[in-house]
Amino acid sequence: MSMKSTLENLESVNSKYFMFHAKTSDTDPGDAKFLFSAKDNLTSKDMETCAGSRILEGYFPAFDATAIAKMREAGGKLIGKTNMDEFGFGTFSTNSGFEVPRNPYDLERACGGSSGGSACAAAVFEDHVSLGVSTGGSICCPASFCGVYGIAPTYGRVSRYGLIDYGNSLDKIGVLSARAGDLRKYINVIAGRDERDPTSCVQPELRNEGRRMRSVAVPREGVEGLSKDVESAFNAALDELRRMGIEVEMVDMPSLKYAMPAYYVLATSEASTNLARYVGMRYGHQDGDYSLKFDDFFSDVRSRYFGDEAKRRILLGTFTRMAGYSDRYYSKARQVRQVVIQDYKRVLKDHDAVLAPTMPFTAPRFDDISKMSALDNYKADYLTVPANIAGTPHMSVPCGYGSDGMPIGMQFVADHWDEDVLFTMAEEWDKEFEIRKPEVSA
Amino acid sequence: MDRETVERVARTAHIKLTEEEIQRYGDDLTEILTYFELLDEAPESDERGINPVEIADVLRDDEPRMDIDSDVLLRGMDTYEGYVRGPRLS
Repeated sequence: MSMKSTLENLESVNSKYFMFHAKTSDTDPGDAKFLFSAKDNLTSKDMETCAGSRILEGYFPAFDATAIAKMREAGGKLIGKTNMDEFGFGTFSTNSGFEVPRNPYDLERACGGSSGGSACAAAVFEDHVSLGVSTGGSICCPASFCGVYGIAPTYGRVSRYGLIDYGNSLDKIGVLSARAGDLRKYINVIAGRDERDPTSCVQPELRNEGRRMRSVAVPREGVEGLSKDVESAFNAALDELRRMGIEVEMVDMPSLKYAMPAYYVLATSEASTNLARYVGMRYGHQDGDYSLKFDDFFSDVRSRYFGDEAKRRILLGTFTRMAGYSDRYYSKARQVRQVVIQDYKRVLKDHDAVLAPTMPFTAPRFDDISKMSALDNYKADYLTVPANIAGTPHMSVPCGYGSDGMPIGMQFVADHWDEDVLFTMAEEWDKEFEIRKPEVSA
Repeated sequence: MDRETVERVARTAHIKLTEEEIQRYGDDLTEILTYFELLDEAPESDERGINPVEIADVLRDDEPRMDIDSDVLLRGMDTYEGYVRGPRLS
């Protein structure tokens, strides 16, 4: 499909899959070299930016996020801002103040979250790359559910300037695409030091040496609680890796079971402070009642426009930082993060990557998601949060299909700053594994 | 989490809750915090860094510059005589 026909069909395709919150009305690609989309928590000066939240409705940023600016400089045309869970708060992109993206393999199922719209766009449009953001697994989870490649690079590799924060110490901008080669290509475009984000300024140079993966460690803790389909596809993928000459060893990583609660403490603590800025002034909705005193003014606007999960996470994060509780929760979670990092470093001394399925099940149906409790939702992230809390680069690659026809992914985790070994793995895996494209119609 | 704590946390976070929300979030947070008790048995570490990788301070010369024109920044804001409008303090 040409860029022009993609643009001409954008409206009708979006009305079926709901991947975009905002989209271009241009039908002429002009001199663009490629089309791309970006998660709606990255600021864009030509499109409304809401991060999935009604509180930001009507916000047109005055500047582009660095990652979007770099994609444009490389010749990219931004065609849409992708639907997501509000501020990234979710595993299925169903916690949105706007539309919920539909899985291209089955419209009754979720795309995963929180970069669900980005994974959907990467699966539906030919020759498409989408920028996603991962805080606790929000690139790999939807990549797995939508059968595409997705990479979250090392924390600090890509400038977060223009990213609407969820958790500052966790947020990472990455890439989703159905083409394995796009991971290296576009991380090279968006990576690099940026004085507007100090956390991007200590990074070593991004290597592109094509370093091959020789051995992977599979943590026993990472193969517990899997659905039969995922277990079977993952075991077949391990056999394929062995056939490719890659050594596979089972290991113990006892810290992984603590990563999930530690992640939710850190993420919600940071989120509850980041979201304090949304008070009905400066951004989005500014229809507060000026007759109210400031405390009531702020509370009124926030209560009207924040969604259910945003309120829950604000309450949780506020509680875990409170005097009398912060030592037990926030301080302990910071220690656990270091323990998890040390566990990865120990295993990665002898292996090039840690490998496990990306998600324990295939994309669930919307009616099943609606029956899950908040804690059930959080627990679904147990395979993706450890790498995110550690800030290590990680990548989901498609590795099979379930008996329900839904895609299954596996997640490689490499050492800090070692994206090269992940890029090369994706490129080699792509020669061995054929993606079953979804049947797309507008 | 008991009702009093939910209300205190919500007040601190500037969130107004309905009766139904006080009950529901209280139940949810109780379930979540019970699961978080797992952290009590987790190993401790002397390292307590905020970020997962080493971060350096980055300083630049203190020279005034105008990245974005103030008129552009104020475009989407509710303003009064060039100032951002906000609620009264008392």
